[in-house]
This record gives sequence, C-alpha cells and structure tokens, in this order.
Amino acid sequence: MCMKRMIAWIPLTVAALVTVSSCTKDPIKNLSDEESRLYITNRDSSANFASYKTYSIADSVAVIENNSFSGDQATAADQQALAAVRAALESRGYVRVGRNQSPDLGVNVSRLYNTTTNVVDLNNYWNDYGGYYDPYYWGYGGYGYGYPSAYGLVQSTEAMLSVDILDLKNAPVSRTIRVIWNGLIRGSGVFGSDAMTSGIQALFAQSPYLKTVQ
Amino acid sequence: MKQHKIVLLLLVFLFALGAQAQRKGSTQFDIQLNAGLPVGSLKNAVSDHSLRGIKASVLYAVDDQLAIGLGTGFQDFYQKYPRQLYKLSDGSDMSAVRSFSIQVIPILAEAKWNFSPDAAVRPYAALGLGGNLINYNDYVGEFSLDQKTKIGFAARPDLGVYIPFRKGGESGMTVGASFNFMPFTAGDVTNLNHVGIHAGFSLPLRK
Repeated sequence: MCMKRMIAWIPLTVAALVTVSSCTKDPIKNLSDEESRLYITNRDSSANFASYKTYSIADSVAVIENNSFSGDQATAADQQALAAVRAALESRGYVRVGRNQSPDLGVNVSRLYNTTTNVVDLNNYWNDYGGYYDPYYWGYGGYGYGYPSAYGLVQSTEAMLSVDILDLKNAPVSRTIRVIWNGLIRGSGVFGSDAMTSGIQALFAQSPYLKTVQ
Repeated sequence: MKQHKIVLLLLVFLFALGAQAQRKGSTQFDIQLNAGLPVGSLKNAVSDHSLRGIKASVLYAVDDQLAIGLGTGFQDFYQKYPRQLYKLSDGSDMSAVRSFSIQVIPILAEAKWNFSPDAAVRPYAALGLGGNLINYNDYVGEFSLDQKTKIGFAARPDLGVYIPFRKGGESGMTVGASFNFMPFTAGDVTNLNHVGIHAGFSLPLRK
C-alpha cells in the first residue's frame, strides 16, 4: 500500500471517531425545565406537626441575594406561590390566623439568588439580615432562628425558592425560632408562576407527615 | 441519523482505498460500529443498550494467522430515570430526575488469531489488554451529583468472523462480539462491563 493511502486513513479515521463521539447524549440538554428541578424537603425530626393548629404567612416574598436580604416583593408569580402554600397548609388542616393572633407556625417564602458557587448556608442568612422577616416580625425580637443542621445541600449559582415553616408556639420556651420544615426548589425556571405553584405542591406532596387535625 | 450516514460514507470510501491480499508482514485496519449491552453492575446506572459506539484496531500480521497491534474504541452510555424520591444522608427527601452519562475509550494492546486464513468465511479470536479512559457523570436534575474522570484497566476478548469481499481479498466485512471488562467504582457501580456487538470493515493499511 502506498504512502498516499496511509495518509488518507488518518483524517478519515479521526473524522469517523469524532463523528461517532459527537453522538454522545448530553444529559443536560435532554432535560426539560421541569425535569431539571430538584424538590428538597427537610424536617426537624423532633417536631410533632399535629401539635400545631394555626399558622400565619406574610403576603409578600423575601428576596435574598448572596445571603443578604434585599427586600420583599409580591409579583403575580409570588402571590401565586403564597396562595399555593396557603392552599397546601389548609388542605393539611392548619388554620390561617393573623400574625398578631399567636399563630403556632410562621411561614416564610423566599426567593434566593446566589451569584457565586458557594454552598448556601441557610443557617446564616436568617440571622444576618434585619429585614421583613426579622424575628421581631414574629414578635420575638432578639431571638435567633434555629435551623436544622445540614442544609447546605449542594452548590448553587442560580435561583431557588425556599419555604420555611417556623415553630412560633414553642419559641418563648426554647428562646429560638426553630425552623421545623424547609422546602427548597432548585433548577431551571423555578420562578415561573406555574413552576412555583407546581413546585410547592410537589414539596408538600413529598411531606405527608406535615398535617394536623383540628 | 445524519451522523450515521457520514460514518457509513467514510467507511465505504475507506473500503474503496484497498483490496489487496494480506499475508505475513501486512497491516490491517478494522473499523466497526459497536452496540454496547451493559452487564453486571453497570446496569445499576445504565441498563439501556447503546448504539453510540465504535471499535477500531490496527494489526500487523506476524504470520498468516497471528496479528498484533493496537485496538481502541468509544462507547457512550446514557440513561434518564423518571422523577422519584431519594432519601439523602442528612435525612432530607429529594425528588429528582436522575440521569447517568458514561463514556469509555479503551486503548489496548491487541492480538488476533485467524483460524482459517484462506477460507471464504474466516473466524477469529482476539484479545486486547490495556487502559481505559472513563468519563462518568451522575446527575440529579441539572446538578452534578458525581463526576469522575479516570484511567482504568480494560480487557477485551473478541470473537467473530471476517468475510472478504472477493476471494483472496484483504478488504472485507467483520462481524463479531466482544466482552469489555472494565473495573470502575462509583456509587452502586463496581464495573463498566458490557458486551459489544460490532460490524464493520477490515482493510489493508500497509504491505
């Protein structure tokens, strides 16, 4: 076989290998927005969810950027998210009351934006800002938020929706506002109104223990 | 599909390049499309077969029956599982669509034994031993749960037949099956073993 033929083999072989390797399925491109999302819930294992009867929820959503509170908002999508939380809690037997009527539970809904690839430290952000959901809001000025451990779940460079349920009933005794349940939605398009509503429904659906009887 | 047509055209062109008899001292090039069928613990990550593979070798004929040289290949395994609930080590519950994407590229020293060098259908047995470039990805949703890029061991015994296009010709078609032994550990996976079913062309490279 002549040298010319040998030389012809090289680019053709490389082209064949490159062509076949380009057939590799990209796992991210093969996901829809909904499939890209994670719904993560955690609970305080010592909490007896049936012992709480009432709850209060704000009518806006906290916006937290890089672990700092940057204001509260109530866009149409935010209001749908809040409505979805209210509907879920009421379907589990909890009764909504005003925050001045000694609710057993407080509910915080937050939009989190992280522009760096740091592990999100949920222990810190509740304690660091002095904004709308300052412990004063719940009538327990000076108290800290007690977060269950291991909430820095995965790295993030994007946006998340967080729903926290706070134990206000036992705060005077424990002198801390325990977060007894947290739901976190991560992934593409989490702040779309449909995505927030369906995401919140998913968070509650995977938390069947979160219920009470009046 | 378009990419498969390009590969086919390339192979036809390669075939047109040569049609000489291979005997002692000649070099043969094999290139084949390969279907990978997971076996063993690879099925814990990917149980679907993969048609996205290629197998290739360049072998020098020591004599009419024995050829030695280099073998390589590429196989892409992918599987996406429906959304389900996972229990995390910290007690959290995570609902996610999980997907695995695994690529292997063995690079092997290979020996091939032709049982009937002059027959119309020539059975062969081959064995390749060497290294394996592995790219392993485990995703939950769009987030990487585990990513490993490693070089591991690979062994590839192979059985098949070579059918020359004309009597005495050294261009022909090869069809066969191989077992790809590939130790690797990640999560529930302890190996990337898979059976390869391959078909393609064998062509003389140098004489």
